[in-house]
Amino acid sequence: MKRLALFLLFHLLLFTGFAYGGPVRIAYLQSDVHQLPCWVAIDKKLFDKEGAKVEIAGIFKAGPELMSGFGAGAIDVGYVGIAPATTAVANRTARIVVLAEVNAEGSSVVVKRDGKVRAIPDLVGKSVAVPGYATVQDFLFRRALSKYGVSPEQVNIIVLKPPEMLGALRTDQIDGFIAWEPYPAKAITTGVGRTIATSRDIWKDHPCCVLAVDEKFLENHPEEARAVVRAHVKAIDFIMKHHEEAVKIAVKYTGMDEASIRLAMTNVKYTPVLSVEGEKEYVEYLTKMKYIKVDDVPAFVARFMRPGFIRDTAK
Amino acid sequence: MKGERLLIPLLLLAIWQGLSLIHVIPSYKLPSPLDILLGLKDLAVVGMPPGYRLHNHILYSLYRVGYGYAAACLIAIPLGLLMGWSPKLLKMIRPIVEVVRPIPPLAWIPLAILWFGLGLRSAAFIIFLGVFFPVLLNTIAGVLSINPILIEAARTLQGRERHIFFKVLFPGAVPSIFVGMRIGIGIGWMTLVAAEFTGVKEGYGLGYMIMTARDIQRPDEIVAGMLVIGMIGLLIDIAIRAAESMSVRWR
Repeated sequence: MKRLALFLLFHLLLFTGFAYGGPVRIAYLQSDVHQLPCWVAIDKKLFDKEGAKVEIAGIFKAGPELMSGFGAGAIDVGYVGIAPATTAVANRTARIVVLAEVNAEGSSVVVKRDGKVRAIPDLVGKSVAVPGYATVQDFLFRRALSKYGVSPEQVNIIVLKPPEMLGALRTDQIDGFIAWEPYPAKAITTGVGRTIATSRDIWKDHPCCVLAVDEKFLENHPEEARAVVRAHVKAIDFIMKHHEEAVKIAVKYTGMDEASIRLAMTNVKYTPVLSVEGEKEYVEYLTKMKYIKVDDVPAFVARFMRPGFIRDTAK
Repeated sequence: MKGERLLIPLLLLAIWQGLSLIHVIPSYKLPSPLDILLGLKDLAVVGMPPGYRLHNHILYSLYRVGYGYAAACLIAIPLGLLMGWSPKLLKMIRPIVEVVRPIPPLAWIPLAILWFGLGLRSAAFIIFLGVFFPVLLNTIAGVLSINPILIEAARTLQGRERHIFFKVLFPGAVPSIFVGMRIGIGIGWMTLVAAEFTGVKEGYGLGYMIMTARDIQRPDEIVAGMLVIGMIGLLIDIAIRAAESMSVRWR
């Protein structure tokens, strides 16, 4: 009887997700070249080699959707933009901790190649697409506008998923878009678009995608979390040392042509080192935009990211 | 009697609020009724995204639905009457209808954007597709259900075809047409919300508002938005029923 009770209890826990024994459930964004370290780590089996068995639990079209996956308890590790991650934690819809950065920079504002828009101030009264509210690109675009003294109300900002942006620009549905690479690069190589500002121009070295883990997962499986971060650091190292092979992997995972990928990668800085100062700026700006409400910014950031974690990952 | 009707819903709300208070239902999965009320207030006062307030989202959505709905009825009702009247026409058009009808309106979204751009006309087209077929099929069924003896009688009385069409067929089919219009508006309203998920140029719309609330991770505003959609759907249904009973009296 006791045995039966234990057996039932075990299965109950298993189904409710408390007893965790399976592979690490990992998620990333679709066709976002920022996620290259994740793809390299999967493709080169770096996660396995470092001691973390992973399975792909989801491929998402934008950060907010991936954060909903965390909220649902369906993901342990996610490659995602720092802005949606911050928004989800601040609004308490997901409990995650950021352990490493993935990339800095890597987005661009693109307009019609032969159109009249030559610079950011020309976008007044025009329609510009962002991948979602509270995404890194939404943030960067508003920052770019304020840099030129343009208020967001003067531009019609709409939401489109990046795969739809190029078609919308080509058919004049929109006058411009801001997206993660390789979509801006693709607009250039197809002859449709022209870059008027890279995210480097808008904010040099701005943090972009991060490696986020579920809080409970980190608590219960610190060893596996360390293994994931180790593999992540090695993957970035691999991209630096084996550029050609990294391009091939990016082509494989995005399904895009090599020319676009090569161009896209010149706009992305891969780095595992977290930027605490950068995150503070995100929190302050997202609060100003009324997306979130954080009173004590330093305390929030200290809970949100662990820049020291990467040092503890050595075997 | 009225109190009895409210008893179960109020009891459920109280249980829900209680379970939320003791954290059995985590707020990030399903906000409590009170949180949802506050979310509704935020939607109306602050707006989602901030600055884009609820009443404008409602107006834009109603406008899109009205546009698509009117277009669908204006085409489907005359076409349905003709198809019910002429067996030849019915035979010729039916195969096309049967092939296109089972395609979910949402599957048309990529084409709708290509043909009509983002915003009013593409959303209205999706709604048009949702409304068109129920109205058409019910109109045809309405005509076919008219007792042939009535038509024969009109013919023996030397009625002209034109008179038979307007004095016998159309009035006879009205109840069935209303059924189609009611089904159609229900489908159209549901389709609208999903059609707005893909993005709208004007920045307004209830479906768009819900997606934005998801982007900004506000489940309270998501549920509040869903309730607004449900309430408006209910009001539309009541309005159509009222129109229906008025027309029945008229006949």
